Amino acid sequence: MATRSDIAASPVKGGAAPGRTPGSRPVDKDDRRRTKLSRRWQRDARWSPYAFVAPFFLLFAAFGLFPLIYTGWASLHQVELTAPTDMTWVGLKNYTRIFDDDFFWNAARNTLTIGVISTVPQLMIAMGIAHILNYKLRASTFWRVAMLAPYATSIAAATLVFVLLFGRDYGMINWALGAVGVDPIGWQDDKWPGQIAVSTIIIWRWTGYNALIYLAAMQAIPQDLYESAALDGASRWRQFLHVTLPSLRPTILFTVVVSTIGASQVFGEPLLFDPNKGASGGAEHQFQTLGLYLYEQGWVNQHLGRASAIAWAMFAILIVIGIINQLISRRLRASS
Amino acid sequence: MTTTVTPPEAPIVKEQKRSRLPKSARAGGTLHGGPLAYVILAVFTLVSLFPLVWTAIAASRDNQRLAENPPPLWFGSNLMKNLEIAWKDANLGEAFLNTTIVAGISALTIVVLSTVAGFAFAKLRFKGRNALMLLVIGTMMVPPQLSIIPLYMMVAKLDWTDQLQAVIFPSLVSAFGVFFMRQYLLQALPDEVIEAARVDGASSWRVVWHVVFPAARPAMAVLGMLMFVQAWNDFLWPFLVLTQTGNPTVQVAVAGLGRGYTPDQSLIMAGALLGTLPLLLVFAIFGKQIVGGIMQGAVKG
Amino acid sequence: MRARTLPLTRQRSGGGKPFARKALAVAAVVSLGTGLLAGCADDGGDDSSGGSSSGEGKTTITLGLFGTMGFKEAGLYAEYEKLNPDIKIEENVVERNENYYPALVNHLTTNSGLMDVQAVEVANIAEVVGTQADKFTDMSKVEGVKKDGWLPWKWEQATTKDGQTIGLGTDVGPMAICYRKDLFEKAGLPSDREQVGKLWAGDWNKFIATGEKYKKAAGKDTFFMDSPGGLLNAVLSSEKEKFYDASGQVIYKTNPAVKAAFDLTAEAAEKGLVQSQTQFQPAWDTTIANSKFATVACPPWMLGYIKGKSKADAAGKWDVAVAPKSGNWGGSFLGVPKSGKNVEEAQKLVAWLTAPEQQAKLFKVQGSFPSAPAAYSSPEVTGATNEMTGDAPIGEIFSEAAKQIPVQVIGPKDQIIQQGLTDNGVILVTKGKSAKEAWETATKTIDNNLDQ
Repeated sequence: MATRSDIAASPVKGGAAPGRTPGSRPVDKDDRRRTKLSRRWQRDARWSPYAFVAPFFLLFAAFGLFPLIYTGWASLHQVELTAPTDMTWVGLKNYTRIFDDDFFWNAARNTLTIGVISTVPQLMIAMGIAHILNYKLRASTFWRVAMLAPYATSIAAATLVFVLLFGRDYGMINWALGAVGVDPIGWQDDKWPGQIAVSTIIIWRWTGYNALIYLAAMQAIPQDLYESAALDGASRWRQFLHVTLPSLRPTILFTVVVSTIGASQVFGEPLLFDPNKGASGGAEHQFQTLGLYLYEQGWVNQHLGRASAIAWAMFAILIVIGIINQLISRRLRASS
Repeated sequence: MTTTVTPPEAPIVKEQKRSRLPKSARAGGTLHGGPLAYVILAVFTLVSLFPLVWTAIAASRDNQRLAENPPPLWFGSNLMKNLEIAWKDANLGEAFLNTTIVAGISALTIVVLSTVAGFAFAKLRFKGRNALMLLVIGTMMVPPQLSIIPLYMMVAKLDWTDQLQAVIFPSLVSAFGVFFMRQYLLQALPDEVIEAARVDGASSWRVVWHVVFPAARPAMAVLGMLMFVQAWNDFLWPFLVLTQTGNPTVQVAVAGLGRGYTPDQSLIMAGALLGTLPLLLVFAIFGKQIVGGIMQGAVKG
Repeated sequence: MRARTLPLTRQRSGGGKPFARKALAVAAVVSLGTGLLAGCADDGGDDSSGGSSSGEGKTTITLGLFGTMGFKEAGLYAEYEKLNPDIKIEENVVERNENYYPALVNHLTTNSGLMDVQAVEVANIAEVVGTQADKFTDMSKVEGVKKDGWLPWKWEQATTKDGQTIGLGTDVGPMAICYRKDLFEKAGLPSDREQVGKLWAGDWNKFIATGEKYKKAAGKDTFFMDSPGGLLNAVLSSEKEKFYDASGQVIYKTNPAVKAAFDLTAEAAEKGLVQSQTQFQPAWDTTIANSKFATVACPPWMLGYIKGKSKADAAGKWDVAVAPKSGNWGGSFLGVPKSGKNVEEAQKLVAWLTAPEQQAKLFKVQGSFPSAPAAYSSPEVTGATNEMTGDAPIGEIFSEAAKQIPVQVIGPKDQIIQQGLTDNGVILVTKGKSAKEAWETATKTIDNNLDQ
């Protein structure tokens, strides 16, 4: 950054202190003041970032670290919920058995398909809704409140509504489909209907949430960027493509990362959509996600060690995805 | 002293240019929404609000009617009665107070700490910045379902069972918040503004107070709302740690509603409805905060 | 060129002054909140779980219960408090046992966060007896508590091998078959309960045969039975040994009784005798309201459930016949953890709540059938009737059934195994899968869940 001639920080002839002539004593005082200030400034610039990020890490060290270490340690043992301190060392057995575990891979496949079906439309719709909300609207507060209503609705109440909607014999969706001549679909019975239904609940619940995040980011896009694009003859759609989207890149990255992590861990919606009391994600585990499988093994079947290994395996999978993503984007950048 | 040479004709020229441009050509926040926009919003709002409205409809009915098919699509006459029973039975007054404290402190603290940390990660240079940021994101990647078991062991040792701090403190760890504010500030806080503030001799703390917080206001409002809801609706952890006879939060308090060999769904829905209404109020208050920040004016040439 | 932005001192935006005010408001909220928090924390410290003395010198006893207990609704707390003026009773209730039990386990293993009294459902009692018995007091040593005050199999369920009884039985769920008189008549079957009972006395196969007769006459309008899970449960509950043997080994795959029950239910499903429904779900509730099935395996509390979901015109249309073989479905126990602050008072309360007189009162109000045989001769039981069954003497019918229930070997993972056989097993047959496929899916799921 080029130094400016009119700023006070650097010692410049006739700079910040008008009326002073370069003399020996005043200069000494000024110099000392400036060096003191600049040293304080240097110290501040050096240490303040650590002070700013420290609270997060301190809180994490206090309340987040021990649970992580404990589950990591438990994953190397055979331990049940009914006796969490009674651990039998089994080494990596809980991890290696994952390779043979059909249910784990079934859940992984389901997590992938449900994740894609629920995340991609969700983020696109969220972007569109945010764009509309960015206009000057009447009753804008009402629209914004309505957007977060799904996230605020108690998940048990929401799932009851959706179970009623998606009921095979008496549900409203099958009733509507019947009116146009389609046979009733077993939403809770079959594989793809079940995954679509669960994805619909997820989309319903999280779209407004992401739309608000996009909206907040859109508020920070300076108006003159739009105006100069409009002056250049860009239509509204092209302004959206060339002004809005690029400015939102950091936020879009955020929602993609967070939604991916969230999609990998989803368990509330498939848990409550299943008519059964266990957590098997449907009679044939057709919509059991990894998060739900983890919950089933840990809380329903009480296998704390095994469930911990599943949790850390999920973490490892995300790391692998992240690394692959990095490699791909680096390869793309290198080739372009 | 240098002066800005601002040609007096320039504003007029700009105005002329602007007036030549049809209103419809401008995107962004100065444009009014057309009828299509309202239609889309109306559909979206209908879909978003329907389950909540149905919760109210269910709460206004009785258990027998709810079992019949087709399910009721309009209000019955039981709403006031069910709401009253739910309020008294679950002792919701106390639960509301407790949860407001918990969610309020949680949201406020997360917002402040995340903004400050996000600012550091976004705009300040320091050794280990990237590694630490990756660590922050990494902490989100372990599914939290099991963590509450060891957390309970910790809380039991600290003798915090049935105390609100057992619910507040673990909730303050928010990698989501830090990551969110970092991304937002990367985009919304131009370096020049920070530089200018520095140049005027501001320490980092003053920069945070006078530059970062005002610039981050829309994002802080959104983050605050999201974290408030998350704390308000949290069930698994508060349920493990708190009791109804001690210091319940709303979700703990309503967990017993409608009990009996035949669960009374209408009462359960009444409790769910009561539990959600304060949130809508909070949204209405904070929704107003999601307006443009100061940057729009400040960065004009 | 001048700096493009205003210097810091003049950087007052729309958020300037109001922002400072907002900051003050924020600070006020934080301090207020922290103050309230500190206040609440103190309160929490005083009223913390485990009971304590509140101001007037009263002892507070806290109970941790799940949805089906009904003590408060039957007025029992008020009655006890009148009899013992220095006692105050408070309850923590969770509607669903699926939420209650995992939390209870966590509290037991850390010995923290327990109430003075904790309820345990029959599905979990084996596990609690097997792994957490050392956290409970021995109720058999309480003054006035005698083993013969309860049905023998009920007492055994809560007793360890060393003879420690960790909980006193509250209610039981002796099963009969509840049937719709009108639907039976329409299908050409007898509707008098003696005759109906004779149709299938002693043999579940005869029950299926009756179902086939029903289906032939009723066609597609209604089903014979409510769900495959209900049938499987009824058949398995009448066996002496189901999933565990006397030494505690898991035998569900090799026990011929289990396979026979599964095959019988699968047969009923293949023949279209049972609805393709999972019990206690909204869709299943609707089939009750819409009178879609003729029979259901029926403990006394099921009558209350049917009443809660039925339309008004269904009253009096049901009746109760003796099941082919008796079994138990449901019931709970009350235990007193050692870690409580008022162990003796809690024990006295539990002994009182489970005494025959109180159990009879609960039956009258809640429909929870007593586990104390002495209550069976009380007027509340002998004269009991239910709206759904008109003037049928349900008290007598269920008392008889209760006495016939075998002492069954129970094990900690009973519920998981049964859930697997039902939700990942027989329900699939109603959806078109073969019995063999259903058995394979069920056993694969169960073995994975048991970690065999």
